[in-house]
Amino acid sequence: MLPRSMRVILAALAALSLAALACAPDRRGAGARHAHYFGDVSPPRGQVFRYNNGAEPESWDPGLCSGQPDGRVARALFEGLAVPNPRTLQPEPGMAERWTVSDDGLVYTFRVRSGTTWSDGTPFTAEDFRWSWLRVLRPGSGARYASLLYPIRNAEAFHRGALADEAAVGVAAPDDTTLVVTLESPTPYFVFLTMFYTYCPVPRHVVERYGNRWTRPEHVVSNGAFILAAWRQGDRFEFVRNPRYWDAAHVRLERIVAYSVDDLNTSANLYKAGVIDWTTSGAFPSQFVPYLRAFRDYQHGLYQGTYFYSFNVSEPPLDNVWLRRALSLAVDREAIARDLLKGSRAPWGNLCPTGYPGYVHPPGHRFDPDSARACLARAGYPGGRGVPKLSLLFNTSEDHRRIAEAIQAMWRRELNVEVELSNQEWGSYLQATTALEYQIARRAWIGDYLDPNTFLSCFVTGDGNNRTGWSDAVYDRLVREAARTLDPARRLAILAEAEARLLDQAPIIPIYHYSTNDLVKPYVRGIWPTALDTHPLKHVWIDHDWRMRAAGAAANGAALGEAR
Amino acid sequence: MTAYVVRRVLLMVPTLLAIATLTFFMMRLAPGGPFMAEREIPGPALEQLRRTYGLDRPLHEQYLRFLANAARGDFGPSYRYQGRPVSEIIAEGFVVSAELGGWALLVAVLLGVPIGVIAALRQNTAVDFGVMAAALAGVSVPNFVLGPALVLTLSLGLFWFPPALWEGPASRVLPVLTLATAYVAYVARLTRAGMLEVLRQDFIRTARAKGLPERTVVFKHGLRLGVLPVVSYLGPAAARIIMGSIVVESIFAIPGLGRYLVQGAFNRDYTLVLGVVLFYAAFLMVLNLLVDLAYTRLDPRVELS
Repeated sequence: MLPRSMRVILAALAALSLAALACAPDRRGAGARHAHYFGDVSPPRGQVFRYNNGAEPESWDPGLCSGQPDGRVARALFEGLAVPNPRTLQPEPGMAERWTVSDDGLVYTFRVRSGTTWSDGTPFTAEDFRWSWLRVLRPGSGARYASLLYPIRNAEAFHRGALADEAAVGVAAPDDTTLVVTLESPTPYFVFLTMFYTYCPVPRHVVERYGNRWTRPEHVVSNGAFILAAWRQGDRFEFVRNPRYWDAAHVRLERIVAYSVDDLNTSANLYKAGVIDWTTSGAFPSQFVPYLRAFRDYQHGLYQGTYFYSFNVSEPPLDNVWLRRALSLAVDREAIARDLLKGSRAPWGNLCPTGYPGYVHPPGHRFDPDSARACLARAGYPGGRGVPKLSLLFNTSEDHRRIAEAIQAMWRRELNVEVELSNQEWGSYLQATTALEYQIARRAWIGDYLDPNTFLSCFVTGDGNNRTGWSDAVYDRLVREAARTLDPARRLAILAEAEARLLDQAPIIPIYHYSTNDLVKPYVRGIWPTALDTHPLKHVWIDHDWRMRAAGAAANGAALGEAR
Repeated sequence: MTAYVVRRVLLMVPTLLAIATLTFFMMRLAPGGPFMAEREIPGPALEQLRRTYGLDRPLHEQYLRFLANAARGDFGPSYRYQGRPVSEIIAEGFVVSAELGGWALLVAVLLGVPIGVIAALRQNTAVDFGVMAAALAGVSVPNFVLGPALVLTLSLGLFWFPPALWEGPASRVLPVLTLATAYVAYVARLTRAGMLEVLRQDFIRTARAKGLPERTVVFKHGLRLGVLPVVSYLGPAAARIIMGSIVVESIFAIPGLGRYLVQGAFNRDYTLVLGVVLFYAAFLMVLNLLVDLAYTRLDPRVELS
């Protein structure tokens, strides 16, 4: 028999756990499951959308922030001149109802909607754009993506402090509804750029009043489809519909909860339990992909990013182009994508990813062991004799290690070349690649806008993102020439020539094409896979009748996926 | 007594200073910096960021300025999270971690001590062996195994509790259980050992000889000394448990303090790391002092000097 005090304690604990059970939210249980979907498929009550936004954002000031989680919050709150179509990402009128371009492609005139206001009722004018863009460009702004505004005349000089007069920067607001932007050179993708969050307007009256705390929920004022109702550090954002948004009539969601969950397993659990309706791309362990592929709520699309190995060409032996070519020809990309990545990524031999209308890719790097050995002999190392031991750097990650080990084995097998693997944590890895303190390094690039220039401009001489030491006059000239070319087809042809030149000189070797992998519940409408993984939330809504629709669609013999 | 406390508090100052100095310089030895990114920050923006945060000053100057501010409890702004002072990040995270840890600690004591006492009273019986085997298992199963196992069965299988997040009483159950289990087991083992030691002593025999009921002997006289090992263990354990478990907070997506130490170091968020380390150190020292004070209450033989 237990002593009385102990019985009391045990009874209390039992009562506590029962109480906790009683407080448990109304779990819908196994009845809400469906064989074709991963986990619970009962929609939330009302027009409420819940998703995992990923890592805790560093900032959601649209002018200053960077990265996908930060960008998703900024895009929910703020809207630029144009907004992306949720399927194609092509620009549609946003805060600007229309725009015109001068014949020389240098002057863009945007007609800003009249009669619109910020979420606090303050009138919205074209001047808000001018002020916000100059704020990003001010040398002291610390904006991570300020260089995205460089196509604007004198923007770069102003940002670098070489030019002090802000009136010389090519943006003017002659009246409340007109914004005139003058560019350095014709930039056919400029309207596309204005959809990036760095180009979004910020409320001057709030920014000036609250300084760097202006984005707090108690202060922030926005102009997009949603306003920020609450934020808890490391936990969640809550957005509600902005009744003053110009297109509020077409926004169906009442509320959005964006959780900041960075653990991928936890994210998958929350989705399976029906706590969240969308994982966002990559927000579950990549090993799940082969299993999840069988479910209808798994969405897969090509993402505008390339995974590649980069050579430090500034010192021997990798200053030898034949050695670089040999190493690339000995990489079996198909095998990596098939066996290691289980088809979650596509093998890719080009720098620029796919998905640019009108862009014809030059032939990419391929796997050809015989040519690889021939190149190695031309490099002066017949049969791999005399190649010093090389070092391959990657940032610490199980996936990167597996790929590195596979490539290490391929080079040993095909070329008799030895590499040692070296992994460093993120900060040290960035330092090493930036300072060219490496021989071969794993790297990746994700495009900012839908144009090959977002990839090719990285590798011009001296660009901060080049990080290979590669400098090629032919390549630089081609990229510069494309920037001056008005004819769209001609411009893309020149860019393709530049990519061909880069692939021929091989300062980098492409390995795979990124893809988006997300889980989205069948009752969620308006989320499509897109090349930039951007999803304007104003188009999202919860379809409470999805089962009926699905049944109807099935009866009509139509594919289930077409409803969204 | 007061003099003792004052002396102990004063002794914390050089310790904290040493910890602050070591952390400060070790952080700076790590390659890279807070503003290094996969995508280059343009030169002028980078310079301005470094100026804003005082990183352009000589290192000794930065160090002295940091000490002067830290002495006032101001650790400066986080380098990573724009517009968020480190002290605010710590305060917000600590509230959550402390709640989680507080519950776990409570469960550890409320379950661990009785289990230990039962095992001691039934020494070398099936009850004792059974309880101690369970305790051994509890200590041995790491929480990164226990947590997902609990989620898989009780949440995704039986739908009793949410799988993660920190909202409502039900969301507390699984993380508290995950965090507490190892401590329950450890407290039970310590209590058992302490009780066995105490129950063999002369004053217990005297108490029994006086004709006191067994309950009084065990709980009034025995337990008081028997839990001493638990008390000295609880000081540092409480600091560890309350400051946040990175693993449990990550598995259950709890917005606590645990993650900021590790992520701060990866991000080279100098101010955040220094703030969390110093806060943790001070907290640990205060708890140790409290443990020593508690000793004098529980064991009349202990005197503070």
